[in-house]
Amino acid sequence: MPERELTFAQAVREALAEEMRRDSRVCIIGEDVAEAGTPFKVLSGLVEEFGAKRVVDTPISEAGFTGVAVGAAMTGLRPVVDIMFGDFITLTMDQMVNQAAKAHYMSGGHWKVPMVMRTTLGATRRSAAQHSQSLHAWFSHVPGLKVVLPSTPFDAKGLLKTAIRDENPVIFFEDKMMYKLKGPVPEDDYTIPLGVADVKRSGDDITLVATSSMVQVALGAAILLEREGISAEVVDPRTTWPLDEKTLIDSAKKTSRVIVLDEGYGRYGVTAELAAVIAEGAFYDLDAPVKRMGAMHVPIPFSPPLEDATVPTEQTVFEAARAMCKPS
Amino acid sequence: MAFSVVMPALEMAQETGKLIAWRKKEGDRVTKGEPLLEIETDKAVMEVEATADGILAGITGIVGSDIPVGQTIAWIVSPGEKPPVEKDAGASAPAARGKTESHAVPVAASAPAPTAAAGAKISPKARRLAKELGVDVASVRGSGPGGEILASDVQTAAAPTAAASTVASAKSANVEVPSTLGRLMAERTTQSWTTVPHFFVTRDIDATALNAYREKLLAEIERTDGIRITHTDLLVALTSRVLLKHPQLNSSFTTPGIRLHDHVNMGVAIAVNDGVVAAVIPNAHTASLAEIAKQRRDIADRARAGKLRPADIADATFTISNLGMYHVDHFTAIITPPQAAILAVGSIADRVVAVEGKPAIRPMMTLTLSSDHRVADGARAAMFLNDLAEALREPQNSLR
Repeated sequence: MPERELTFAQAVREALAEEMRRDSRVCIIGEDVAEAGTPFKVLSGLVEEFGAKRVVDTPISEAGFTGVAVGAAMTGLRPVVDIMFGDFITLTMDQMVNQAAKAHYMSGGHWKVPMVMRTTLGATRRSAAQHSQSLHAWFSHVPGLKVVLPSTPFDAKGLLKTAIRDENPVIFFEDKMMYKLKGPVPEDDYTIPLGVADVKRSGDDITLVATSSMVQVALGAAILLEREGISAEVVDPRTTWPLDEKTLIDSAKKTSRVIVLDEGYGRYGVTAELAAVIAEGAFYDLDAPVKRMGAMHVPIPFSPPLEDATVPTEQTVFEAARAMCKPS
Repeated sequence: MAFSVVMPALEMAQETGKLIAWRKKEGDRVTKGEPLLEIETDKAVMEVEATADGILAGITGIVGSDIPVGQTIAWIVSPGEKPPVEKDAGASAPAARGKTESHAVPVAASAPAPTAAAGAKISPKARRLAKELGVDVASVRGSGPGGEILASDVQTAAAPTAAASTVASAKSANVEVPSTLGRLMAERTTQSWTTVPHFFVTRDIDATALNAYREKLLAEIERTDGIRITHTDLLVALTSRVLLKHPQLNSSFTTPGIRLHDHVNMGVAIAVNDGVVAAVIPNAHTASLAEIAKQRRDIADRARAGKLRPADIADATFTISNLGMYHVDHFTAIITPPQAAILAVGSIADRVVAVEGKPAIRPMMTLTLSSDHRVADGARAAMFLNDLAEALREPQNSLR
C-alpha cells in the first residue's frame, strides 16, 4: 500500500489532533496557537475543531503559561505547551527545571506532570541571534526531563504521540527549517518509544550520528561520500534523553570512525555528551578520534552568508568525513 | 646518561634468546619497570622490563632473531641524548657467538630500517588488534590521514603472505592468529603426540573418603594458614607421595636413558586465556597440604596474570590436569616430554555403583593416566593407579 506523504508540520498537527480526539484531557496553550495557528502554521485548524477552551491563546508570558501548564498537568490535564521560538525557553526554566522536572521525585511519586513542551530550534531562517538558537542541550542536562528531537515527519508523529502519553514532562524540539520537509506518514495510530535510536542509513566506513535536521544534512553528506566510495552510516538517536547508547556504540564499533552532528553549540553541548558515550563504549574499536560538528561558538548572525557559515552543511560534513576516511 | 638494554639470561644454561617483540618503539618514553620487550627461551616467553627511565633509542635487536645473551640490543637515553655507538654491532648477524671487536659500525647503519616513523600514532583499534594478532607495530606503515597506523594496516600486516594481494579491504575476521603461548602449545603437543607412544589406563575412584578428609581439614587449614584447600591440592599431595613408590612414572625419557627422579616436582595444568600452562610445585612429595595449596594458588594467580617466571614452569617430573571444575567426566591428556606420564582428573559426581552386591550412590571420580610406553607398561601404570586409589581411600595414612 503506497504511504501518504505529509510535511513535518502536518505530521505534528495530525499527532496533536489524533491525541486530542482520543483523550479529552489533552489541550494546547501558548502564544498565537489558536486562530493564527502559530507563525509556522503548524496548528492551523485545531481551534476550529477543538474550540478555544482546548486551544488556549495567551499573552506574551512564557513563564506564566508554562507554570499554568505544570499546575494543570499535576491536577489532571495533559497540556501541550507551545513555545514559539526555542530561544524563549530561558523564560520557562524555573517552571521546567525546578518544578516540572522535580515534582514526581519530590512527592515520592504522588504527583505526575504529564505535559509536553513543543518548541523550535535551528538556524538559517534569517531570524537573528534571539530567534535562531538550538538550546536543547540545556534540558537534556536536567534529570527528570525527557528531550525529543524528531528528524522526519514519520518520527515526528510517532514520537509526539508517545510524548503526550508520557506521565512526566517531555520537551519536543522541532527544527523550524524542517516544517516543509515531506515524508511518508501512516494514517494509523502508531507510536515510537523514547530512547530508541534509528539507523537512517546503513554503512561501513564511517558513522554520522546526527540529531533533528542534522540527520537530513548527514543523509545528504552520505550521498556525496558514496560518490567517493565511502560508505557512511547515519544514526539518529531521536531522543537525547533517554539515550540509546547501545546503538551508537554498536555503530561506532562497526565503522571505527564517528562524526557527531548537532545544531546546538559545540561547547559543552549534545555533541560532547554523545562523543563521550561513544569514546567510552567503543574506544578499542575506534580508528580515529570522534569528531564533533555543531553551531559555531558565536551568537547566530543575521547576515545570511555569515549565518550559513555557523552551522554544519552537507558540504562541510562531507569534507570532514572524507578527511577522516581517505588515506594519506 | 645512557643505559644499555641487553639480551638477558633468564636460565642458567641459556646462550641465546629470541627477540619476539618490542613493546616500545624507537623514540618512545619508557619508565623503569615498564614492559620493554618480549623474548622467548626454549621454555617460555618472557616480558623484559625497562631498567631505567628515559627514551628508547638505538634499537639494533631485530624482531625474530636469536641474540646472544649479554649483547646490547638498544639504549635508554635522556631526552635529546644520542645513543652511544656500540663497538660490536653484531645484533644484525644472527647467531654471532664469537664476538669480533674489529669493525665499528655506527648504530644508525646497523639499526633495522624503521618503517614506522618514530612516535607514529596508532589508533586504539589498531593497537588492540596488533596485540590480539601478535603484530609488531614498529614494523607497520600507517595509512591514516596523518600517517596513523589504522586497524586495516595491522590486519594487512597480520595476513600471512596476503600483503601483496590487491584485496586490501578483505577482513581476516575469521582467521585467528595464535598468540605466542598458543603457538608454543601447538608445537609442543604436536611434538609429544607424534613422537611419544601414549597409552591410557583409567580407573573409577570412590571419592567419599577424599571429600570427608577435605571437609575435615578445610576449616582447620583455613584458620591456621588462611587458605582453602581444593581437591586439586589433595590430589597433588597424595599423587606426589604415591609417585615415590613408582619412579618409572616419575622419570624423564632422555637420549642416554631413563632418568628416575627421587623427588616430585608436580606440574599443575592451568587454563589461561590463550592456552594452557603447567606451573610447578617443587618437591611436592615433602610439602604439607597448606604449602601446596598456597603455592598452587600463587602460580595459578600469576599464570592468569601472565606473570610466570621461567622457574615456575621448569623441571616438572609429573603433571596433573584437573578438568573437574568444567564438569568433565573423564578425558585423556597429552604428556609433556620429557616427563613420562600425566594424570587426567575428571569431576566428582554422584553415580550409581555396586556396593556389596547392591546399587548405591557414591561420589565417583575417574582418573586417567597417560604414560609413555618407552618408559612404563600397562601393568606398571595399573599398579600406580591401584596405589593412588588406595591413598585416596585413606588419605590420612599418606598425609599425616
